[in-house]
Amino acid sequence: MDKRIILPGERIAEGRLNAPNTFVEGGQTYAAVVGMVDEEGRYLALENRYRPGIGDSVVGIVTDVRHVGYEVDIGTPQSGFIPTRNIRINLQLGDFVLSRIKTVNEVGDVDLGEVRRLPAGKIIEFPSAKVPRLIGRKSSMLMLLRDYAGGDIMVGNNGYVWISDKSDIPLLLKVIKLIDKKAHKSGLTDEVAALLKAEKGELPAGRRSTEESYSGEEQPGEAEGEGPQQARQNEEPQENIYRDEETKEEGV
Amino acid sequence: MSSEKTEVQLIIDGKRVDGRSPDDMRNIRVEAGVLGEADGSSYVEWGGNKITCGVYGPRECIPKHDSSPYHSIVKCRYMMSPFASSEEHSRSGPSRRSTELSKVIREVFENLIISEKFPNTQIDIYIDVLQAEGGTRTASVTAAAVALANAGIPMKDMVSAVAVGKAGGVMLLDLGKFEDNFGQSDMPIALSARDKKILLLQMDGMLTKEEIEKALDMAEAGCVELHQVQADALRRFYEGGEKESFRF
Repeated sequence: MDKRIILPGERIAEGRLNAPNTFVEGGQTYAAVVGMVDEEGRYLALENRYRPGIGDSVVGIVTDVRHVGYEVDIGTPQSGFIPTRNIRINLQLGDFVLSRIKTVNEVGDVDLGEVRRLPAGKIIEFPSAKVPRLIGRKSSMLMLLRDYAGGDIMVGNNGYVWISDKSDIPLLLKVIKLIDKKAHKSGLTDEVAALLKAEKGELPAGRRSTEESYSGEEQPGEAEGEGPQQARQNEEPQENIYRDEETKEEGV
Repeated sequence: MSSEKTEVQLIIDGKRVDGRSPDDMRNIRVEAGVLGEADGSSYVEWGGNKITCGVYGPRECIPKHDSSPYHSIVKCRYMMSPFASSEEHSRSGPSRRSTELSKVIREVFENLIISEKFPNTQIDIYIDVLQAEGGTRTASVTAAAVALANAGIPMKDMVSAVAVGKAGGVMLLDLGKFEDNFGQSDMPIALSARDKKILLLQMDGMLTKEEIEKALDMAEAGCVELHQVQADALRRFYEGGEKESFRF
């Protein structure tokens, strides 16, 4: 299998190709970030920076509460904003939310809508270029993780991953680290399944994540599936001090 | 640089002071992703030079009045450690020299980074010279290109840089410290990998027109070799998947 690593400036196609993380110069298409060519000959980014797109579902942390709305850290240079008119629930500083990007203006300011508060849990940062691998084809990977970890997981396009406190967090961290490391290898789902089986044994019958009240709903993170369009990127370093404490106090 | 009256013999039997022939480069080792907290990073050992580079961003532009709604601002800080060489460097704050180097390195990357995608932000490139042995600006450019690729910042091309100069009357590739200090001329050149555009060119001392043409050819050969080393470092990194890029 051809797993050539592509460097910035390498030509990936003759003629114009409208793909993310590329640019066109002199009628030729070149890679703009480090990527690879997959089995079907598509160029996939291995490392990129998350750029908010309309319709993306993102996981974020409320960083400021104001009269007009809430500031939400979604791992972009300019934080996201939830206007009060877009939301009926009240949020508190440090709340985790799952929401959808409504608008992005030309200077990168993001407005969020369809806000859902996430229960007590943990947020980790995952490279957003590898998010499609964490979700898996038809969210197979995510379902696998939910079933074995016993709790819910929400993956944002921005690379923030929320893990429920009910789940086996140490196990999930281990598995997510594995997915990060081997994101561009084939047979990843099988390897993860094997690891989960080794750690947890066979899945007890009837113990599916769908029993949890909130996971029966539509999962915006799942709708994305796999593909180069979803290949989005990493984020800047964030201060995570309050992520654990705040939710514990709150005891959602 | 010093005049031609130098007493130091830099070329003996066609060999240089460190035993290289005129168009040999020093040993180069490049590693990508060496710093856990940076968005992208690299480490370069080039002869006696040891350089780390960390890249952050695009992130909120501070101070705000530096920002542009049209593109991301590239900021570069080259710093030589106080212990980097046998000469006195006192404390490692900004100096005339490091300010100049920061500027020329920044301009290299301003020409490469596709910054229009990130309005009102800045991209920081921090270069720390831990040990210096001549040619730190070229090594810094080489390191920063790898760090930027590692950070996933969109770029039009990769870049590598090497110095060419004249010492002991002979044109030399990749000047070392002595050739730089006691030679006749020193010309650092940065060339992009794909289209061989000159992104940095400075010169100390004097060269004839013919010598400059020869110098550019030598630099191109050097940069091709360097690009291979950079590419190998990035391939090694991504094929091995060593970086633990998610944080808690």
